[in-house]
Amino acid sequence: MNTMIKVARYHLVTPVMFLGLPWAPLAGAFAFALARDTSHGGLVFIFFMFFVTGMQRIGGRWLPFGLALGATRRSFYAGTALLGVSMSLVYGLVIAGLQAIERATGGWGLSITFFRVPHLLNGPWYATWLTSFVGLSALFVYGMWYGIVNRRWGMLGLLAFVAVQALVVLAYFWAGLDRPLTSVSALDLTGVIAALAVVFLAGGHATIRRVTV
Amino acid sequence: MTPAISVTGLTRRYPDQVALDDVHLTIGTETITGLLGRNGAGKTTLLRILSGQEFPSSGSVRVLGSPPAENENVLRRLVLVREDQAYPDFKVSHALRAASFCYPNWDADLASSLLKDFGLRAGKAIKSLSRGQRSALGITIGLAARAEVTLFDEPYAGLDAVARQIFYDRLLAEYADFPRTVLLSTHLIDEAAALFENVVVIDRGRVVLDTAADGLRGMVTTVSGPVLAVDSFTEGRPVWERRGLGSQASVVMVGQVSGEDRERARSLGLDLTPLSLQQLVVRASGWAAGAGSLTERTSA
Repeated sequence: MNTMIKVARYHLVTPVMFLGLPWAPLAGAFAFALARDTSHGGLVFIFFMFFVTGMQRIGGRWLPFGLALGATRRSFYAGTALLGVSMSLVYGLVIAGLQAIERATGGWGLSITFFRVPHLLNGPWYATWLTSFVGLSALFVYGMWYGIVNRRWGMLGLLAFVAVQALVVLAYFWAGLDRPLTSVSALDLTGVIAALAVVFLAGGHATIRRVTV
Repeated sequence: MTPAISVTGLTRRYPDQVALDDVHLTIGTETITGLLGRNGAGKTTLLRILSGQEFPSSGSVRVLGSPPAENENVLRRLVLVREDQAYPDFKVSHALRAASFCYPNWDADLASSLLKDFGLRAGKAIKSLSRGQRSALGITIGLAARAEVTLFDEPYAGLDAVARQIFYDRLLAEYADFPRTVLLSTHLIDEAAALFENVVVIDRGRVVLDTAADGLRGMVTTVSGPVLAVDSFTEGRPVWERRGLGSQASVVMVGQVSGEDRERARSLGLDLTPLSLQQLVVRASGWAAGAGSLTERTSA
């Protein structure tokens, strides 16, 4: 536990890079939405940035220096994931808060639905919090897994990793298991994403065990 | 007493080469050991395995009594300073702050005084540092960590002579204040020779020499002078190399030279020049290809 906290502190040595980065593209998208009076879609940026941050924190130069400072792979992985999940908890709440403001101000006075996504993020504040928390966490650990695959097997490994996942998704459709999104409740979908996050977390953990720097 | 580092039958194979081949090595606590050898000899691979950054293909590795890989109890007491260390998008001060809460014995005052000695600004971005400045940062982290096992892999690439002298002086002063096990790989052998209590030479993945530095000094001598006198002096002694030029000869002779030998050499008009550590390493590396280790040869 102690080392996990150290790893989290290590990531926060430059807090702006971690805490601020995910918001920058979102702020840009929001400004664009306000200026053009357009609606939803831009919220996807923060989810995307969580994926990128997860990938970069473990696939980039953070891992080699972390290991040089005496962290084990296990503790580095756990500490990084812990920080990503904690941030998801806080940022999920921020999204829920912004959504509440959006509702209260009639879409920022312009009838914009930037922080409301039909069907997915359109319920009470706690449902929005839960769904965004789970979604951000899942994308963070998913990104971590990509970063580790890249560090261990390079670009070819990444391509194979994507190809295998594409086959799984195709098999899912061929087997006729898919249902229209609207027939699944947001809560059920959140449960599915949470289950996926656990799979990603376990997969990344298994992959990092033999990473070398 | 448990040795600081103990390696048995360590082999690391890569698809295209064998980086370490059945390495056996024991390094006692609170010693300074020079890890010498050519580029690609396996020094960095050995240091990476000792610090758990790489895994062995076979063999056993113990650092402070336990296998280092994924072992927090060992790794927080160990520091490896790599020539090619990758840093995140950090300033110098960020790297030092991260190191400060990772190493239990971190000495912040020492770190700032080293920065000052090396002329390194804490606010400078690491990616804009020169090669020498990056080395200075690595040395600062390595010394200020005050880790029980301190591994330096070519720590002073790109450092000027003055900065290198600062490193030697500070390393010795630190070692006196806070004794630890230091393993230092370097190409600047003669320059660093005075630091070493022990010397390990690796060539093509094998340990070809592992001995106390004191034992090496004066172990091999070049005898030069008139051919007949040289031949008479070296008769019956193991000889590495013989060169002749007209009536003069120069022979590289193995074995300690006694006071009596010196007296005799003087009377024969011979010059006795001990081989430097660097020359020894060059020969030990060259010899490894066909003929086992230097110690094996010299005992013949």
